[in-house]
Amino acid sequence: MNKTILALAVLATALATTTACSQGSATKAPAADGGKVTLRYFTFSAAPDHVKDLDKIVAAFEKENPKIDVVVETAPFDQYFTKLQTSIAGGTAPDAFELNYENFVTYAASGSLLDLGAVGGDSDVSAYAPESLNAFKHGGKQYALPASFSTVVLFYNKDLFDKAGVEPPTADWTWADEQAAAEKLTDRKAGIYGDFQPVQFFEFYKALKQAGGEFLSPDGKKTAFNSPAGIKAAKWLVGKVGKTMPTEAEIGGTADYDTNLFKSGKLAMWHNGIWQFAGLKDVPFEWDVVVEPGDATKASAVFHNAVAASSATKLAKEAYAWARFLSSSKVAATTRIESSWELPPVSDQSVLAGYLKDPKPANRQAVFDSLKSIALPPVIQRQQEMQDAVTEELANAAAGRKPVEEALKDAAARVDELLA
Amino acid sequence: MTATETPASATARRAGGRRRAGAGGRPPRGRRLRYALTVAAFLLPSLVPLTLYTLIPMAGSLWVSLHEWNLITPMRWVGLDNYADLLGDPGTRAAFLHTLAFIAGYLPLVYAGGLGLAMLLNRAMPGRALLRGIYFLPVITSWVVVALMWKWLLNPASGLVNWALGLVGIDGPGWWTDPAWAMPSIVLASAWKDLGFVMIILLAGLQAVPKEFHEAARVDGASAWQRFRHVTLPLLSPSTFFVVVISLINGFQVFDQVHVMTGGGPGGATQVVVEQVYTFTFQYQKAGAASALSWLLFAVVLLVTLVQVRAQRRWVTYA
Amino acid sequence: MRRILGLAVVAAGALVMLFPFAWAVITSLTPGGAVLATPPDFTPEGAGLDAYRRLLEAVPFWRILFNSLWIGIVSTLLQLATSAMAAYAFARLPFPGRGALFAVYLATLMVPLQVLIVPLFIEMRMFNLVDTYFAVLAPTIASAFGVFLLRQAIAQVPKEFDEAAVLDGAGHFRIFAFIVLPLIRPALATFAVFGFMASWNSYLWPLVIIRSPEFMTLPLGLAELHGRFTTEWNVVMAGSVVSVVPILVLYLFAQKHVIASVAQTGLK
Repeated sequence: MNKTILALAVLATALATTTACSQGSATKAPAADGGKVTLRYFTFSAAPDHVKDLDKIVAAFEKENPKIDVVVETAPFDQYFTKLQTSIAGGTAPDAFELNYENFVTYAASGSLLDLGAVGGDSDVSAYAPESLNAFKHGGKQYALPASFSTVVLFYNKDLFDKAGVEPPTADWTWADEQAAAEKLTDRKAGIYGDFQPVQFFEFYKALKQAGGEFLSPDGKKTAFNSPAGIKAAKWLVGKVGKTMPTEAEIGGTADYDTNLFKSGKLAMWHNGIWQFAGLKDVPFEWDVVVEPGDATKASAVFHNAVAASSATKLAKEAYAWARFLSSSKVAATTRIESSWELPPVSDQSVLAGYLKDPKPANRQAVFDSLKSIALPPVIQRQQEMQDAVTEELANAAAGRKPVEEALKDAAARVDELLA
Repeated sequence: MTATETPASATARRAGGRRRAGAGGRPPRGRRLRYALTVAAFLLPSLVPLTLYTLIPMAGSLWVSLHEWNLITPMRWVGLDNYADLLGDPGTRAAFLHTLAFIAGYLPLVYAGGLGLAMLLNRAMPGRALLRGIYFLPVITSWVVVALMWKWLLNPASGLVNWALGLVGIDGPGWWTDPAWAMPSIVLASAWKDLGFVMIILLAGLQAVPKEFHEAARVDGASAWQRFRHVTLPLLSPSTFFVVVISLINGFQVFDQVHVMTGGGPGGATQVVVEQVYTFTFQYQKAGAASALSWLLFAVVLLVTLVQVRAQRRWVTYA
Repeated sequence: MRRILGLAVVAAGALVMLFPFAWAVITSLTPGGAVLATPPDFTPEGAGLDAYRRLLEAVPFWRILFNSLWIGIVSTLLQLATSAMAAYAFARLPFPGRGALFAVYLATLMVPLQVLIVPLFIEMRMFNLVDTYFAVLAPTIASAFGVFLLRQAIAQVPKEFDEAAVLDGAGHFRIFAFIVLPLIRPALATFAVFGFMASWNSYLWPLVIIRSPEFMTLPLGLAELHGRFTTEWNVVMAGSVVSVVPILVLYLFAQKHVIASVAQTGLK
């Protein structure tokens, strides 16, 4: 019996030694034989569903660039930046990595990104949709290349509209139309809700723009959202809660509550992103999408992802070539469209035409129409703190802990402090 | 450590030491060296990795706490500014108060529950091994699953708990959606999850209690309560000491359950210290402030632990 | 009568304890759309093993299972060895500064992991150990928790046993291995479960230190099932169910072992 313990101790030591020794080979970067270099690319948008699609793009790239071996590393979005920051802090940043628009400025301003414009020289950028390309400029320099985007539209359940005898939404709808329809469609006894729009930062900045307001002052040094338009936008969001939309207590923290509500045919209108298309393929009712209703003006939210290169990379040219390929090559664009992996920000309409062929939803054109007036989120260096502050104050208003005006005033004060 | 021993055992050890050292006088040098080497041989296997992989990073974080650092640009020396900022920030005070509130609710609940369970499941009964396994299940189930479950159970509108309260005519509270009830909700879920942890440690302790002691007490005509109070509890005191010290250390660092159940909300009502540390480091790019906050927490936990270590000689009985 | 009452209470409690796990199992068997219905649907339509099949496809399941098991086993054995030895020193070998050193051990439990990650990462990079098995394992080799747990257990062993051995001329290594260790088997078995759990569930550290898929551990693989905007909950639940099984087996094994050893030694 005691021998067992001793034997285990010996075994443990032996195992530890072998583990430690067997590392030698693994720590080294894959061999750079025959002048081949290894390029590390880190991404959050591939896993879990599009790893194979990314592999396809990598294979095409390596075929065109036989001297470059692209090694993909993935992490879920929630933990992506934890990992990226640690590796930058530890001096082992990946050569190229994905950044979303909201986090882009923090990284560009900190000097951790390579100026891709300087690497690429005068290369032709007409392949990109100009708004997308410009979004990833900072201080006049192109620090990242846009690789994909998604937009937010209004999903609606046609069957519920038919049953309630309400005309389905059109591209001309305003908030007032949406509210009137939502009130008619809501039937709390049957558990049917007319509308669902989360009360948080991303919906607020967009609603603000729809109401004709601005989030930041023109010089970007102060907030401008504590305005009549801001109060209108906040009231628009908060006012739905408990009327045409379930309250926080009713949602009760259920994961994917709204998705399940819509899928089970109990939600008439749903503000959400085009990434939901794939999940709605098999629902047993008719549904479609339109551009979101506006108020003073139309404005649709766009989520952008881009490829950047680390300023510390030794493979600037290769990183640029990869960023370029992943963001604008025909292979990448068609792969994305075929697998519904967001949309490629390319200017070539014939590539995008493939997207419209898919039969569901019928009004896919709305996705492109929504691009005509986009609302990009305000971006500051202390981005996450700003988002959290605004979301928290809006939640206070939605739960009735504060009047809307006071919540907005407090949110503005908190964000002003972050800008100071 | 001498401070942790009862006077009786210390005397016994001194007597033993004298016996080892031979008849009187100081032990010879060779013996002392060999003894020192023996001590080193027992300690180094843990001391070396502990130094390398915990103490050095701790020193590193102490260094970081004196800087402003967003992890992606070089750090900037700010001296004690981070500490000064934190001490002047009402958010810090709130975070510590919320953490203390958690501990005040959690510790008595989990200890009493765990002890009761251990006592019950230490008896012979059909299916005992299975029952122990079941009570241990929550300990090993991930917080993601447990939190989803508890959020549903404590759902103000359609949860099982409020439904049951409704049956007896009580209008259930808003639980974790209500700032006043959010912390009690987290305490409840945490105590539920950790019952099995306390149970198995106390069970191991109970199994080390020699049966003869109970039998002797029974022969002396002691009642069940007296046997529990005067035999079981004192003999279990080293395990209890362990449970209390570890639960406090862990309780001060409560994070997982808060992160997945409320994320610090609603309205900041469950913002605890480590939730703040996490947000500072990886979301707000304030590694310096996060480190400073961690060291403030460290100071508090160390103080509380040292007080317990000092106090233990009054109530912990070692064999 | 009281015995029956006790049994009834414990059995009723067990149902409450079992509930979330049962719910996780049922959710994992529920096809996509009906997942997370409120209230839970305990007889889902079209139940099946689809989620488990998806799990096998979505992540290189067997590889990460192997990694987690391997790292968990090595880590547990090492922790048991290093902790038991240090615990013996703290309980039985007086030396100057022992109290202070023990306080240092305990102090390592008091700083949140979140702020140690970055310094540790930088250190690992200096050792050129980023993205290795060893780096995942390293912080778990020594466990202050284990030292403390086992020290308490050793302190409960009557000193008369080892003092008798000392008189027989036995050295500390023999007393440790042949007298003390067998007597603290319940505590060792308990700690084996916790040591394994600590390694098995470890998430944040492996997340930052591992970048090659071939070194990925189970919690990392399961985290990848959460998409940015959508999550397949039945697959996540399937993953959670699968990840509980090894610890449960170890626990049941340890329990049996403890009871057997207590009966065997006849000392208790």
